[in-house]
Order: sequence, then C-alpha cells, then structure tokens
Amino acid sequence: MESAIIDKLLESYFEGNTTLQQEIQLREYFKQEDVAPHLEVYRPMFDAFAAAGDEVSESEVSLPAKTRTIKPVWYSVAAVLLVAVTVGSVMFSNQELSREEQEALAALKETKKVMLLMSEGLNTGASNINHLEEFNKGTSAIVHINQFTESKNKILK
Amino acid sequence: MKQQEFLTTVLPFKDKLYRLAKRILVSKDEAEDAVQEIYLKLWRGKEKIGQYKNPEAFAITMTKNYCLDRLKSKQAANLKIVHNNFQNSQNLEKEVEANDGVAIVFQIMETLPEQQRMILQLRDVEQYEYAEIAEMLELNETAIRVALSRARKTVREELIKKHNYGISNN
Repeated sequence: MESAIIDKLLESYFEGNTTLQQEIQLREYFKQEDVAPHLEVYRPMFDAFAAAGDEVSESEVSLPAKTRTIKPVWYSVAAVLLVAVTVGSVMFSNQELSREEQEALAALKETKKVMLLMSEGLNTGASNINHLEEFNKGTSAIVHINQFTESKNKILK
Repeated sequence: MKQQEFLTTVLPFKDKLYRLAKRILVSKDEAEDAVQEIYLKLWRGKEKIGQYKNPEAFAITMTKNYCLDRLKSKQAANLKIVHNNFQNSQNLEKEVEANDGVAIVFQIMETLPEQQRMILQLRDVEQYEYAEIAEMLELNETAIRVALSRARKTVREELIKKHNYGISNN
C-alpha cells in the first residue's frame, strides 16, 4: 500500500474524520512488516490498540443461585407460615399438657376425697371404740348391781 | 427471563465491559469487581433488559457510570493520593522493565482525561460507530469526534516525544 494514502488517512484519523472502514485499513497497514520509516513512529499506537482489544476478563460472572429467582412475596409467605406453625405447635402442645395436668389434678382430687372418706371412716371407728369404753363402764356398773343384789340377798336372809 | 437466556444475552460483551472498566479504573482487580457488579445490576433489572433495543450499549453506559462513580467516591475518600502514588510506582516499573512502544502507549493513555480514555477505548479498540458511542456515553457525535481527535493527538505527541527521547538517548 502506498504510504501517501496512509499519510492522508492518518491526517484525517487524527482529526477524527475517518470511517471505521478506513481505520481498519490503517490497522492492517501497521500490522505488516514493511512500514514506511517516517510512519514507524505510529506503529506502537495501533499495536497498543490491538493489544488492548485482546485483554479478557479472567473471573467468572457469579449470579445469585437459582433460588434467588423466587419472588420476594414468597419469602414473606414462608416466614408467616413458619411463625404460624411454630406458634400453633407450641400452643397445641401446651393444651395437651394442660389437659394431662387437668387429668392429673382430677385424679389427685379424687384421691384426696377417697383419703378423706377413709379417714372419716377411721374416725367413726375410733368413736365406736369410745362407746365400747362406755359399755365397759356399763359392765362395771353391772358389777356394782351384782354387789347390790348380793348385799340385798344378805339382808333378805 | 431465565438465567440461561440472560447469560446468552449479556455474556458476549463481558470482555468489552471489562476492558472499558480497566481503561477507567486502571487496576485489573477493580475492573473485575466492576464487571461483577454490573452483571449483578443487569441481573436484578433483567426484566427491563429485553425492552432495550441494544442491551450492549445499555451495559456499556452502566459500566461507564459505575466506574466514574467509583473514581469519584475514591477521590471523595481521599484515596486519590494513595492511588496516584501507586500508579506512579507502577508506571516507573513499567518504564524500567518494558521499553517497548505498546507499554508507552498504554502509559500515555492512562494520563488522558477519563472521557477521552473511554472514547479512545470504544472507538480505536472496540471499533464502535460514532452513533453507538454517542448513545453509550450520552453525548453528541460532534463532542465525541472532538474528544477523540484530542485523545489521538495527545497520544501521538507524547509518543513522538518519547520516540525522539529514545533516539537521542541511543
């Protein structure tokens, strides 16, 4: 390629007037081995642009995991459900517990009643024993009566 | 939009986003981070991406805005001085180890204002049409041509300076 053409192209290149097509032409020219000596100074420019275009990003793009595609609404729904289930289970288990407790309490009451009845029965038994003592007294009184009859019989004799 | 469909739409221009980010932020790691952020943003707004007639231009605009914001917040956080120091030491190293023209051009490009850097990147590296660049950078075509011409001339002047310096040195 004639360097005169390149000279002209370069001139409009530096004025910002070249088309993409013309710029490709320039790049191609500076890529080859033979460059006119007075244009050699521009070579690093085009080499640098080519090198800059070869740079690549070395890290992988990491997007949030698929689960993140769940709409935020569902997060709140899930949270509400979780709370409901937790509260519900605690409440239900409490009720069951108190029912058991109630049963235990009822059993305790019954037991107490029975115990009370039993002790009352015992007391009546004990008072009956008191009556027995009276009976003993009675019998001792009878002894006095016997003595009385004895003495009465003596008098009659 | 399913993840697979999304990826086939947006992954083809990943390297272009990375290169633009790197041109603005200079650091490789920061450019990778920026790309990751851009893709997360695109993914969150994936329902909208189908509405854009040109997802690539849209993604490049996002990258430009994101990277310029990053630069601004860095300056606001007074990190600019630190960053510049870092850059200088990097440049020094480059100057010592790589005397080839390509490295010098990269070095010159780093000294250009951000907008000129972006335009040079989008035109001379990625070879977009002026109309596309105008859409991506939210500027008019004339402004782009003017900035591009300035950027190219600056590179040329600096290159000639270094070239002559190299020659007189030899």
